[in-house]
Amino acid sequence: MLKVTEAPAYFARYREIIPDFEKFLAHLREPLPLYFRLNELKAPDPEVVLAGLARQGVKAEAVPGFPHFYRAEPRDFPLGNTEEYYLGYIYPMTLSSALPVIALEPKPGEYILDMCAAPGSKTTQIAQVAEDKAVIVANDRRLDRLTALVANLKRLGVACALTTLYRGEVFPFGVPFDKVLVDAPCSGEGRYREGYEGELLYQKEGHTNLPAIQKGLLVRAFDLVKVGGIVVYSTCTFNPEENEMVVDYLLRKRQAEIVSCTYPLPHHPGVTEWEGRPLHPDLQKTARFYPHETQAVGFFVAKIKRLF
Amino acid sequence: MGRRKKIHKEAKWPRVVSLKEREEVLSFWEERFGIPKEIFQDYLLLSTAKNYWLFIAPPDLRPLQNLKVQTVGLLFTRRVSRWLKPTSTALQRFGHLATKNVLELSPSQLDRLRREKRLPFEAEVEEGYVIIKCEGKVWGCGLYAQGKLISFLP
Repeated sequence: MLKVTEAPAYFARYREIIPDFEKFLAHLREPLPLYFRLNELKAPDPEVVLAGLARQGVKAEAVPGFPHFYRAEPRDFPLGNTEEYYLGYIYPMTLSSALPVIALEPKPGEYILDMCAAPGSKTTQIAQVAEDKAVIVANDRRLDRLTALVANLKRLGVACALTTLYRGEVFPFGVPFDKVLVDAPCSGEGRYREGYEGELLYQKEGHTNLPAIQKGLLVRAFDLVKVGGIVVYSTCTFNPEENEMVVDYLLRKRQAEIVSCTYPLPHHPGVTEWEGRPLHPDLQKTARFYPHETQAVGFFVAKIKRLF
Repeated sequence: MGRRKKIHKEAKWPRVVSLKEREEVLSFWEERFGIPKEIFQDYLLLSTAKNYWLFIAPPDLRPLQNLKVQTVGLLFTRRVSRWLKPTSTALQRFGHLATKNVLELSPSQLDRLRREKRLPFEAEVEEGYVIIKCEGKVWGCGLYAQGKLISFLP
C-alpha cells in the first residue's frame, strides 16, 4: 500500500507536469469537500430536499457552474443514510466526476453508450441532463458492479436507460450511437489521499496492463459512434500513459479530432510529450484537473469527434 | 446429461405491449390517481411476465433489440392476480402528479407503518392501492382496505 510518506517519491515522475507540485503533495493530506447532485427527475422541488437535509444539520450550497450540484457541510456527514438518499433525491459524488458528462453534452433523443457505467453516477447524470429522454445504453463488464448500477438507476427513477453486461472492447455493433462515454478503469491516482479509498484502488489495479485495456475500450468506442459523433474519454489518474498516450494511439489509428471544451473548474492542457516521446500536438486540447486546484479528485477528460 | 435450456437473445428483450394493454395500464393510473395518460406519451410500455416497464421511446427500437439486455427502463406496474399494482419506484417518480388516493402520513405514522407493516387507518379515499406521502415526499405504494393500511416499504 502506498503510504502518504511514500507519495512524494511515487508522484515525483509528475513533478514537471503537475503545477505547484509541493502544494499538490501537501493537499494529499487534506480531506476533500463533500458534494452531491440533486436529482430533479424525482425531486421537482429542490427546496423540499434542501429543507429536509437542513433539518438533519446539513448545510448545502449550490456550486457555481455546476447545475444541480451542491457542496455539503459537515463534509463527513453520512449522506448515504438519509431519507433523501433512499428516495433517490440525491447522488453523492466528487465534483470533478461531473466533468465528463459536461463534455458529453447529452441531449434528448440521442443514442448514448456509457461503456463502463457502474455504479452509475455518470449514467444517472446523463439521464438527468437529457431530462430522461436520451436513449442510454449503460454497460459494465462485471455483474456485481452492474447490480449496483441497476440499483442506482432504480433509486434515481431513470426510465431512459437499459443495461448490458458486455466487455467494452467487444461491445456489439449495430446501434447508431450519437455519443459514447468511456470513463475508463484506471489506476485511480487522482483519488489518492491519506486514509481514503484511493489507496485501495491504486493497490487493486496495480498489476493490470491498464493502458492496453484503455486503448481497446477507446478504439471500440470510436468504432461504435456514428460519423460526426462524439466520444468522451475520461480517467481519474495523472498518468499520461493512461491518458494522452491512449488518445494519441487512437489519433494514429483512426480519423479522429480532439474538440476543445469549456469546463467550470480550473484545468491545464494535456501533455504533448512524455518521457522524451513526442505526442500529437492536438492533445493540448484535452484537459487535466488537479485536486489541489479543484478541491476534488484529479481527472483527465478528452472530447473526441469521429471524422470518418 | 441435463436438459439444456435454450436461450434466445430476443427472448431476453421485454415485449412491447399492445395498444389495448397499454390503454388498460395507463387508464388504471389515470382513474386511480388522476395522473393523465399524456404524462407517459414519450415512453414505451414493455412487459416481462407479470411486470410492466416504462422505457423512453427511441427513434428506432430495432437496433437496441439486438443487444442482450439485463434490464430495460423503470419497473412501472405489476399484475397481481387480477389487479394492477403500481410499483413504489414508479410512484416515487410520478406520484407527485397524483390528484387522488394519496394518503398524507405524519412522520410517526410512517415510522410505525415501516416497522409494523400494517396500521389501523381511517381515510376518505377509495379502497385499493394508495400513494403514501409524508412531508411532501412520496414514499411509495400502500393498500388501503377495511380500515387498515398495509405496506411493505423497507
